[in-house]
Amino acid sequence: MLSIMPNIEDKTRPKISGLSRRAHIMRSLTCIVPLTILSLLVLTAIFAPWLAPHDPIKVSMTERRLPPVFMEGGSTKYILGTDHLGRDVLSRAIYGARISLSVSLLVIAITASVGTILGIAAGYIGGRTEAFLMRFTDISMSFPPLVLAMLLSVILGPGYITVVLALSVLGWAPYARLIRGEALRIRNSDFVSQARVSGASPMRIMIKHIFPNVINPLIIVMTMAVGFMILAEAGLSFLGIGIPPPDPSWGSMVADGRGDIDRAWWITTFPGILIGMVVMSGNFFGDWLRDKMDPRLRQL
Amino acid sequence: MSDILLQVENLCTSFFTRAGEFKAIDGVSFYVREGETFGLVGESACGKTVTGLSILRLLPEPAGRIIGGKIILDGTNLIELSKKEMRAYRGKMISMILQDPMTSLNPVYTVGNQIGESVRLHQGLRDDMVEDEVISALRLLRIPAPEIRIRDYPFQMSGGMRQRVVGSIAMSCRPRLLIADEPTTALDATIQAQYIALFKDIQKQTDVAIIFITHDFGVIAQMCHRVAVMYAGKIVETAATSTIFKAPKHPYTAALINSVPHLDRKDDRLYSIEGQPPSLLNLPPGCRFAPRCHDVQEVCHQQQPPTVEISDGHSVSCWGVK
Repeated sequence: MLSIMPNIEDKTRPKISGLSRRAHIMRSLTCIVPLTILSLLVLTAIFAPWLAPHDPIKVSMTERRLPPVFMEGGSTKYILGTDHLGRDVLSRAIYGARISLSVSLLVIAITASVGTILGIAAGYIGGRTEAFLMRFTDISMSFPPLVLAMLLSVILGPGYITVVLALSVLGWAPYARLIRGEALRIRNSDFVSQARVSGASPMRIMIKHIFPNVINPLIIVMTMAVGFMILAEAGLSFLGIGIPPPDPSWGSMVADGRGDIDRAWWITTFPGILIGMVVMSGNFFGDWLRDKMDPRLRQL
Repeated sequence: MSDILLQVENLCTSFFTRAGEFKAIDGVSFYVREGETFGLVGESACGKTVTGLSILRLLPEPAGRIIGGKIILDGTNLIELSKKEMRAYRGKMISMILQDPMTSLNPVYTVGNQIGESVRLHQGLRDDMVEDEVISALRLLRIPAPEIRIRDYPFQMSGGMRQRVVGSIAMSCRPRLLIADEPTTALDATIQAQYIALFKDIQKQTDVAIIFITHDFGVIAQMCHRVAVMYAGKIVETAATSTIFKAPKHPYTAALINSVPHLDRKDDRLYSIEGQPPSLLNLPPGCRFAPRCHDVQEVCHQQQPPTVEISDGHSVSCWGVK
């Protein structure tokens, strides 16, 4: 009888080897590669002053639109070339990581928290609370985000905090909708009834039983949002209501280079590649995290 | 009698929907003694589960509401308690085992954590003491190697094991009343027999009173001391288990017992009751079983039959019983 039971000391249970060795390696690559890229970018953002070879906002009118080092006419002084004002693209990309990443992470943290709290409350409590919260959500979703962003920009003046606020004010609504749907489904499950039978209070059920069961969809949406937020910030910057120039963000760099795309492709391409890398890394890492966090999939 | 633990008097519960008022249970009265197993039997949708949920006051709000009656547990009328006071009763004084063990456990927590929840809520113990309680609850349900099992997630357990874990959660604070809502329906026959034996044993050890909700007369015969038969939201007959089987008085009870298959009888067809239970939206004015009853009289269609106690502890609601 006891021999089929795992040993008490044996914390690591024998893994069910349903996957081939190759599939195992592929699976861990979807974690390691995106995580490496994201950590490198975060480190770059943190250590930008030490890594950037030039001042990102220093204009040099004699060195405009210089090509990158690997092209004819390029030099090692400006490895990724210069933009239409003679500013170093590499240094701007390095400093841009600070603004682009911190804006998107901050906005995601704010919107996901607000949306989750409202969504769980609406889904679990139901009745009038739900009706009120969901109509409020509908109104938020029907509001044109750019108009509101412009309004905020006019009232507060363009800047970092304005961008974060403008993206957060409406950004929580999709989370609230998603989480409310999940909470509604979980509210009617037997284990919630079981918790009620045990005498758990509504607050406890929401925090302990509903929240952990909505984490998976939440993470997926949050990781997808990384790319979206970087693009949204770029859009705001392009319209002049985002990060004011001369401070670099990847989005405003792409926007800056648009007019020069036929003669100086490197101005838009390098920040564009960085945006693409962050978006993909976020998605792959999100997928991997979901597989890891769902105990039903844990042993597969 | 002095050892009555739960007294339900004239309990009425309705569901208010757009289609109108569903009288899910309508004037149900019964009592449960300490340490006794009381069976609630009847076909689907006759109000068995709603009775159980009403006692715990866990009806799906806002549609379901208790609209009348008393539920007296050990001298306290549960209907008059505030929500907060009621929460203190749940899990500690009264507990319930839900129908489906496969979905009654939260997939993201270990079973130890889930059994411990009730203990932590009601007893305010330190973590290491909670673990001792959890292990003793698992041991009570005879789960082998509980010290290891507490670290398992629900998906790592078999259906029978999960059902025992659900039982451990219900018994973790040693409640005085346990409502078991068809706990054996999802299990196969062998496991079912084990589970019933287990519950008899637990009852002996803890002296817990059990309300056993089922549609299976076989389970009633093995498990229960007394039985109430429900039909369309009303109790039609209450008696000791042996009386119900030997001398059922209500035509519905007799028909139900008749429709249980027997190994020693060689019937070609299994007996079945003609017709359908009445819609709870549109109840007949008289006896609710009248349209399907073999011994129906004129009065049955016009007036509801009174409940009469024909012998000690045996009461019937039928015009045909004098």
